[in-house]
Amino acid sequence: MLRFEKRDKTPVRLRVLVPICSVLLGLLVGSVVMLFARVNPLKVYGAIVKGAFGSAYTFSETLVIAVPLILISVGLCLVYRMKFFNIGAKGQYIIGAICGSYMALFGPATMSRPLLLTLMMVLGTLGGALWAIIPALLKVYWNVNEVIATLLLNYIASYILWYFMYGTWRDPGSHGFPLSKSFALNAQLPRILAAPSRLHIGLFFGLAAAVIVWIIIRKTRFGYEARVLGENERAARYAGINVFKTVIIAAVISGGLAGLAGIAHTSAVLRILQLEINSDYGYTAIIAAWLAGLDPLVAVGVSVLLAALEAGGYQIQIVMRVPFGIVGVIESSILFCLLAGEIVTHYRVVLTRRLSTPLRSAPRIGKKCSGASDERARGAA
Amino acid sequence: MPGSLSSSMGEKMDGQGQLMLVMSNITKRFPGIVANDHVSFALRKGEIHALLGENGAGKTTLMNVLDGIYYPDEGEIVIEGKRVELRSPLDSMKHGIGMIHQHFMLVDSLSVIENVILGLESQGFYIDKKSVAGQIEAIAKKYNFRVDPYAKIWQLSVGEQQRVEIIKTLFKGARILILDEPTSVLTPQESEELFGILREMKSEGKSIIFISHKLNEVMSVSDRVTVLRKGQLVGTVDTSSITERELARMMIGRDVLFRLERKDIEPGREVLKVEDAQAYNDRGIMALNKLSITVHGGEIMGVAGVAGNGQVELAECITGLRHVVSGHVTVEGIDVTNATPCTLASAGVNYIPADRLGVGLVPNLSTVENAMLRKYRQEPMCRGTFIDYGAACTYADGLIEKFDIAVPLRNAPVKVLSGGNMQKLLLAREIEENPRLLIAEHPTRGLDVGATEFVRKTLLDQRDHGVAVLLISEDLDEILMVADRVAVMYEGRIVGIVDAHRVDIAQIGLMMAGAVGAKA
Repeated sequence: MLRFEKRDKTPVRLRVLVPICSVLLGLLVGSVVMLFARVNPLKVYGAIVKGAFGSAYTFSETLVIAVPLILISVGLCLVYRMKFFNIGAKGQYIIGAICGSYMALFGPATMSRPLLLTLMMVLGTLGGALWAIIPALLKVYWNVNEVIATLLLNYIASYILWYFMYGTWRDPGSHGFPLSKSFALNAQLPRILAAPSRLHIGLFFGLAAAVIVWIIIRKTRFGYEARVLGENERAARYAGINVFKTVIIAAVISGGLAGLAGIAHTSAVLRILQLEINSDYGYTAIIAAWLAGLDPLVAVGVSVLLAALEAGGYQIQIVMRVPFGIVGVIESSILFCLLAGEIVTHYRVVLTRRLSTPLRSAPRIGKKCSGASDERARGAA
Repeated sequence: MPGSLSSSMGEKMDGQGQLMLVMSNITKRFPGIVANDHVSFALRKGEIHALLGENGAGKTTLMNVLDGIYYPDEGEIVIEGKRVELRSPLDSMKHGIGMIHQHFMLVDSLSVIENVILGLESQGFYIDKKSVAGQIEAIAKKYNFRVDPYAKIWQLSVGEQQRVEIIKTLFKGARILILDEPTSVLTPQESEELFGILREMKSEGKSIIFISHKLNEVMSVSDRVTVLRKGQLVGTVDTSSITERELARMMIGRDVLFRLERKDIEPGREVLKVEDAQAYNDRGIMALNKLSITVHGGEIMGVAGVAGNGQVELAECITGLRHVVSGHVTVEGIDVTNATPCTLASAGVNYIPADRLGVGLVPNLSTVENAMLRKYRQEPMCRGTFIDYGAACTYADGLIEKFDIAVPLRNAPVKVLSGGNMQKLLLAREIEENPRLLIAEHPTRGLDVGATEFVRKTLLDQRDHGVAVLLISEDLDEILMVADRVAVMYEGRIVGIVDAHRVDIAQIGLMMAGAVGAKA
């Protein structure tokens, strides 16, 4: 019979081993499903690895997906530590893309490239931040649940994008498709490697953001205040922590990074504003943040792995002619196994036997009692 | 040990009475600590058996083993001669064990009936409320108390809620009742009534395990006492053959100071002045009813009263955690009505809240991060935007050493500390702020004798240094031991202030019950 007992401390060994074993187990579960679909799991996994890491180009494509995941997930690490459950990164990403694209589409054509790009990134960041301030204000003023508010704002953001794409921002030359004009070269965030790689300097934004947020959480007053607030609001209030300010600033950082992810991806990779701008990264990043244990530096690694699955998934679709849905199956079985693995890291699993153990010794009450009277005798003496 | 192993199992007698329950050589280990180290415990049929010990002595662990919450690493449990495996509270219930926890396990918005049948498998799809109500009333009548089966839990007083818990366990057929510090929430009168019920149950042949810190209660209500210290059994003795002092010695392993030495000092100038304060409680009901109170420097003002008469709200109004609707709060002449926590901190107001983990400390953060909570804005911990965690560690180490706090790992979450050490940490943190006004709310609740003594001495020491201390406590003995004056609160007002040295306990009891409003 199995019993679970809470651990006080998790050994480091387990913290490394358990996730690795969980991933392997997840792959195993995924294989079973693939066997039912009559495809060779080893070949599929091989294709995914090859598709994600097989060549410099494929790896750079993996990183292209990882960049927005990193930017968003490190911001989420901060707000989630404050227990502000922002699941609106998707909406913040979209609004960031829209605001930044405004400069790209309607900014003065004579503006120099660095200035234009800086303005685009700043506007994108501000847009995402603005979209995150709304639920933060609702939370601090009226205690509105931020999960609901941020989720609903995702839909609003999507429809705002629809409004522009079917409305004023549609390129007259797009034959009725909901596409904007292509961004001019000046409005394209520079790519790092030679074509066809699309890896862009947003990668450095992401890495810098991870380090900065890590420092904020671990080293600054604000990070400390956010953690105290997340763990115990009453203690935070008594300590004189300004709840209003802390929530707003953290929401701005998280939303701003999501907005930056949106405009960077749009400007560097897509080079056009359209309906599909990969805003679902906003959801994938939530998974990345939690799997990373809300540690921004770990979130970078997790983002790359999740990106690899996604990039590899496109490959198997093309190479193996298996449905992309298989990737979803693999992804979710890995996730389930990782979550299940959490139990092992937080609890001790104890195997107990049924009533078969022989008696070790007879009750020793009488003996102990005499011990007590000795104690008393000494006490009285 | 005479007799073969198996035959001693079958024995039901220990010489003086029929054995109901035998726990032998129970060992329960937690990482880094042995909570119960080969503890043996025997309960006779029809006795009240007190379980005494300091915090961390392993009382609650032992009882959680009996209640099926923990499964022991070693040892065995025999109930009425039969060896049993208790793997869940449901198992324990089936073997006639019922536990009444310190914090009641009741659903506030449901009625007494609904709470009593909660989790009972015998109830089918349709609930026959009438028959359940009848059974509840029958149980209550048997033990000479009354309870309205149709009342909602939130409408009942704490004492009544406790009786619902008792009914709940009896309804489920409990023959062994475990009460975890049952009197900690009761008035002296309510405690007496509870003891009456326990004695009645004892004469019915039920066996009762009574967990307590309070020696006088153990002496007055129990037949036998089992004392634990640091996870080990010290011994089991007949209550009639031991004195209070000897029990205390068994419990902490040395003599305890029952009387605290106090210097005679002249109270200084007025530090806290609350005038006609009004405030609502969390339910939106007026909890402070034009309350006025004054506390001087070098004085401990004890606030006595039954829980829920506005004591918590009074503390929160002074510490800025609750909005004062009307009236004024001044500290050393400065108006701090509805001031921010920062203003209050600079005015020298410090607070030891009743809810240590809910208000005072941040459970999941480390000892260091908790120790710095009041200081992180100041040099040397604050370096502009950044925090110097090295300086914070040095500061925390200083507190740990000065106040002798047992901290296994200063970077481990503070929630793993024992209750006494958490309170020491909290007290240390607040006192290091050099308060002018210290508000202590139930500062020794749940603490063992040693830690209690430490807290009380610290409060007296603060008073001797000219600090004004407002001590809110439900423990009347504590207030009389520590305070200079006693204010009795009833329905959001101070109904009387008496001198702690010349006091009639019966009169305070009556004032607490709202019967007298005399000024001494």
